[in-house]
Amino acid sequence: MRVPSAGAVAELLVPFAYEYMLRAMLVSSVIGAVCGLLSGYIVLRGWSLMGDALSHAVVPGVVLAWLVGIPFAIGAFAAGLLAAWTMGALRSRTPIREDAIIGVVFTAFFGLGLFLLSVRPSDVRLRTIIFGNVLGIADPDILQMLVISAVVVAVIAVRGRDLELSVFDPTHLAAIGGNPAAMRILLLALLAASAVAALQTVGAVLVIGMLVTPGATAHLLCDRFGRMLLTGAAFGATTAFIGAYLSYFLDGSTGGTIVVLQGLLFLAVLLFAPKHGVLAGRRERKLERAA
Amino acid sequence: MSALLEPWMHLFMWQALLVGLLTATVAALLSCFVVLRGWSLMGDAVSHAILPGVVGAYLIGLPLALGAFVAGLACALMAGSVRAVSRVKEDAALGVVFSAMFALGLVMLTQVRSNVHLSHVLFGSILGIEAEDFWQTLAVSGAALLVLAARGRDLVLWTFDPGQARTMGLDVSRLRLLMLAVLAASIVAGVQAVGVILVVALLITPGAIGLLLADRFGAMCRVATAAAGLSTLVGLQLSFMLNASTAGSIVLSLSLLFVLALLFSPRHGLLRRSTPA
Repeated sequence: MRVPSAGAVAELLVPFAYEYMLRAMLVSSVIGAVCGLLSGYIVLRGWSLMGDALSHAVVPGVVLAWLVGIPFAIGAFAAGLLAAWTMGALRSRTPIREDAIIGVVFTAFFGLGLFLLSVRPSDVRLRTIIFGNVLGIADPDILQMLVISAVVVAVIAVRGRDLELSVFDPTHLAAIGGNPAAMRILLLALLAASAVAALQTVGAVLVIGMLVTPGATAHLLCDRFGRMLLTGAAFGATTAFIGAYLSYFLDGSTGGTIVVLQGLLFLAVLLFAPKHGVLAGRRERKLERAA
Repeated sequence: MSALLEPWMHLFMWQALLVGLLTATVAALLSCFVVLRGWSLMGDAVSHAILPGVVGAYLIGLPLALGAFVAGLACALMAGSVRAVSRVKEDAALGVVFSAMFALGLVMLTQVRSNVHLSHVLFGSILGIEAEDFWQTLAVSGAALLVLAARGRDLVLWTFDPGQARTMGLDVSRLRLLMLAVLAASIVAGVQAVGVILVVALLITPGAIGLLLADRFGAMCRVATAAAGLSTLVGLQLSFMLNASTAGSIVLSLSLLFVLALLFSPRHGLLRRSTPA
């Protein structure tokens, strides 16, 4: 076996020598952790479509915020909330199923964003919104992202118990004096906030990967909800860190690399998870047959 | 008046209109099934998942439409098997598979530096459609329409009442697969017009408009097709006159039609005078 030379090892450390790479890796990890934490709720609530929808619906807010001259995060967050509110308002007033309403609303928002972007020349670059640009992230944007992440984590820390009940047992929550409808809105707000924060890292289209895959992976490994949330956050942070690191060598899409890694991790866990994995299930069936 | 007609002095606008109307028709017919079955996420997933297929087909020199079709179908089947072998729910399984496939497509694209212009795949290129894509789109849409004409009745029955379809001796899992194939085909066609990210609008909104305005499935299909066709025309016009994104203009027109239907629908409209009994 060939021992790697000192030069090869040094090559692997190159990304750590660049400040922009260090920042990209740290920013990605924070976002990965926050989205991973939230993804536990999304996976168990069956909100994949909602996650994808809100991450697209924030786009017109980014463009409008630029035109009006306010921080992009505020515009994006407002657009996400407006989309969620529209969906909720239409759900009770039309014969259309909820999933179709979500689809109609988010494509309308995204279409509007695309339209505005093409008729009002602005600094907002389409590629950045769609694919993120964590390698070129500016300091004020990092600050916005950190604040949003801290708020999301703090809210989950304080209201996590009620959120958990609203996912598993809304009737019980109502019985002990909680408000399932308010928790639904809170979760939507958290979702919109994370989508806004992740926009810079992976872009509008791939946020859905970060908001679903770590949670789904953790769901295969953990039977307790608290542990599942933390595992999802750990997976999100790790894959985002390694993905950002690898993208230096691949010379391409950071968001793409992160989400591909998350998909691969999911696949590995799907096969090899000790209790809920495919191979474990096969082993168990074989044992049952033998018994 | 002449300003309104000016776009139509150009041959490429007529070609765009032809392709747009055809793909909109196919997508609108499909959207009626999507809306009634609750397949919005499926449409969203399959449309994103075709990206690696397009890049892969380019790499090995196959028709792009074929690669896209295979990848779209593969996404639906893989998500189905993830759900079948594990405790992950269907929506999360779809989310995992399609985001991973789209991400793979992106990474592949940055590696190959291909001729496949990213923006064309993502947002369509209906104004500058190339001859090869033109014929592929015609073929794919034609095939989807033929299947709908031949098996449409069975698909409608399955959509409204899977139990009844089974009792009548129809192979339900084969029907589901057929539906997925037609869905993938209509997405492959629709991508020409509005691209990967917004094709899902053509697959949902026309059907939702149809549902608001019509009571019977046949009428719903006609309304959906008319709405999709009209928004294609208006969108092309807008995009030419304002020099705006074609995909954005088409989807925006379609969404405005939805808002109109929502407000003024005789039976379900928010502005109707009396509530129907």
